[in-house]
Amino acid sequence: MTAAKIIVNEIKGYHRFVKFLIVLVALGALASLARFVFGLGVTTNLNDTFPWGLWISFDVVTAVPLAAGAFTLGAIVHCFHIKKLEPLVRPAIVTGFLGYSLVCVGLLLDLGQPQRCWHTMVYWNPHSPMFEVSMCIAAYTTVLFLEFLSPVCEKFGYHVPLRLLRTIEMPLVVAAASISTLHQSSLGTFFLIAVDKLHSLWYNPLLPLLFWLSAMCAGISIIIVEATMSHKYMGQPDESELLETLAKILPWVITVYLTVKVFSLVALTQGPLFNRPGLLVLFVVEVAVGVLLPLVMLMNGNVRENNRLRATAAWLVIAGVILNRFNVSMFGMEAPGTFYYPSFLESVVTIGIIAAHILFFVLIAKYFPIFEHHPETVDYSIPDHFRKTEKGHAHGAAKA
Amino acid sequence: MSSENQDFNKSKAFLIDMTKCTGCRGCQVACKQWNQLGAEKTEFFTGEGYQNPPLMSEYTFTRIKFRDYEKNGQNEFAFYKEMCMHCNEPACASVCPVGAFKKTKEGPVTYDAERCIGCRFCMVACPFGVPKYEWSKALPLVRKCTGCYSRVKEGLKPACATTCVSAITYGNREEMIKEANKRIAARPEKYLKKLYGSEEAGGTSVIYLTALPFDELGFKPVTKRPLPSYTWQALRLVPGIFLTVGSSLSLLSWFNHRKERIAKEEEQRKSGATPKEES
Repeated sequence: MTAAKIIVNEIKGYHRFVKFLIVLVALGALASLARFVFGLGVTTNLNDTFPWGLWISFDVVTAVPLAAGAFTLGAIVHCFHIKKLEPLVRPAIVTGFLGYSLVCVGLLLDLGQPQRCWHTMVYWNPHSPMFEVSMCIAAYTTVLFLEFLSPVCEKFGYHVPLRLLRTIEMPLVVAAASISTLHQSSLGTFFLIAVDKLHSLWYNPLLPLLFWLSAMCAGISIIIVEATMSHKYMGQPDESELLETLAKILPWVITVYLTVKVFSLVALTQGPLFNRPGLLVLFVVEVAVGVLLPLVMLMNGNVRENNRLRATAAWLVIAGVILNRFNVSMFGMEAPGTFYYPSFLESVVTIGIIAAHILFFVLIAKYFPIFEHHPETVDYSIPDHFRKTEKGHAHGAAKA
Repeated sequence: MSSENQDFNKSKAFLIDMTKCTGCRGCQVACKQWNQLGAEKTEFFTGEGYQNPPLMSEYTFTRIKFRDYEKNGQNEFAFYKEMCMHCNEPACASVCPVGAFKKTKEGPVTYDAERCIGCRFCMVACPFGVPKYEWSKALPLVRKCTGCYSRVKEGLKPACATTCVSAITYGNREEMIKEANKRIAARPEKYLKKLYGSEEAGGTSVIYLTALPFDELGFKPVTKRPLPSYTWQALRLVPGIFLTVGSSLSLLSWFNHRKERIAKEEEQRKSGATPKEES
């Protein structure tokens, strides 16, 4: 059988949903091809008034906090040493790695000159938040890739790289957390320059801090949702007990976020807050449904212990963060009387990117050990033939 | 940003006296000719008054906006020459990740198309809505007025200033502001007692004099603070935050791991297990 035939047969065995995802990804790829053939002006609804649209608002500004699970959990597990959460780390890292890779894809599609993306590495402008974010995303994608290499090496039994990865594990976790802190907050810094454009409901000098805190809320919630769903739909082990612990941490982070948000709104905002009823509604929905409701839910022990309710609260937090990012980067930026909505092709590309994320996660979970192994308990000691002769002897003797 | 210690008084600036503008649009034509910009298909009366084309674009770096108003029972026009303001501390230059925009010592803010990656952050950042994009192209670039830098650095005036009969004066920024104040003082009944561009966005290289209130003409209200300072107040913390987060997390994890190691050793000693070396 040829390789192609093997692949086709393999795909034939997939679940209907996975096949559907493959179709969506293919459509997204076609649509992004159209963008390069016909140009941004024809295929998108972007124009000089709305230079940034769905691709920046969702594929970049929203996808980055949604991929924050990896660094949040990595820091919780390894730095604060809450070791029982360890089994959740690998899926989170895979999600993060996929998320960031797809952010890069989204960015490349949106750039006018994607073939020049390396310019950011050569022509430095440290005054630009975009420079900082692109450097961090490049660095962090690399870190996540290295972290993701562990299950890959395990799958193929490469012991030496595993040893190496094990050695640099802690530095990687620390690097991941520090780099993420920078670019998660810098996404907020983006909009500090839009002084008279972003509405005062969202514009305040603490925007970077708010972005960072809400990214952590999103990160924790994503882990809860993901673990619940992979238990339900993929037959993976039930991690409810661990998720309860996370659900205990989450309200604290939300409270900090809410405090900073209220403080900045009351004390630091300049300009009218109530002059745009449409935006006010969006703001109220964002805070009431995305922050207050899940906070109240998660403070209740019964909710934290109930799988379904816990996941619902986490979904609400995620929805709140998504709405927040759209409010900041899209709705809040619209001048009165103007309106942007994504074109058909823009939407197809974004749907394709979301589908790609789910698809790759399912496939990676299928082929690589991301759920089964608890890395700390697996013995990665170098097999005999790598050892010095006398130790090999000793080992051999013991065996005999 | 290349311009922290620059003396902006010595850089060149436009003084645009809109009361002297007759709306001939010679500046628009001169700009198109010098910059070799394509024509745009336009229609009359699509926008307000006779303004044409309806907006600045990749083909139009400057244009005259028309505004109808009534004076002594007569219909009158007021004008506003829309163009890049060439800020002293440009937001576009500060946010561009590859430094494609540069504030030159002569005054104009230039754009290096060779560097541009097309992220359009400049368009989001510019408080005056100046940079425009080549939406028609598959691999588009940004287009904007460069203050005719190629002319200015050779000692010439920008194309629009050269062609204008009366409304545009070009010279040292300091002198232009002095001249503007002189005109206001000479005919206080004619001019609005405010210079647009002297303080807007921290000061620009385009200074406007008008008779009608600025917002009525379509001038955007803009903060007096230089825009780069808004993001810089957050960005300057970056190295500090990186080091703080990095070192505190390293310390924390080192401490926690040490605690665990000690506990393990303790346990081993208690259970009487032989240390590793002897096994």
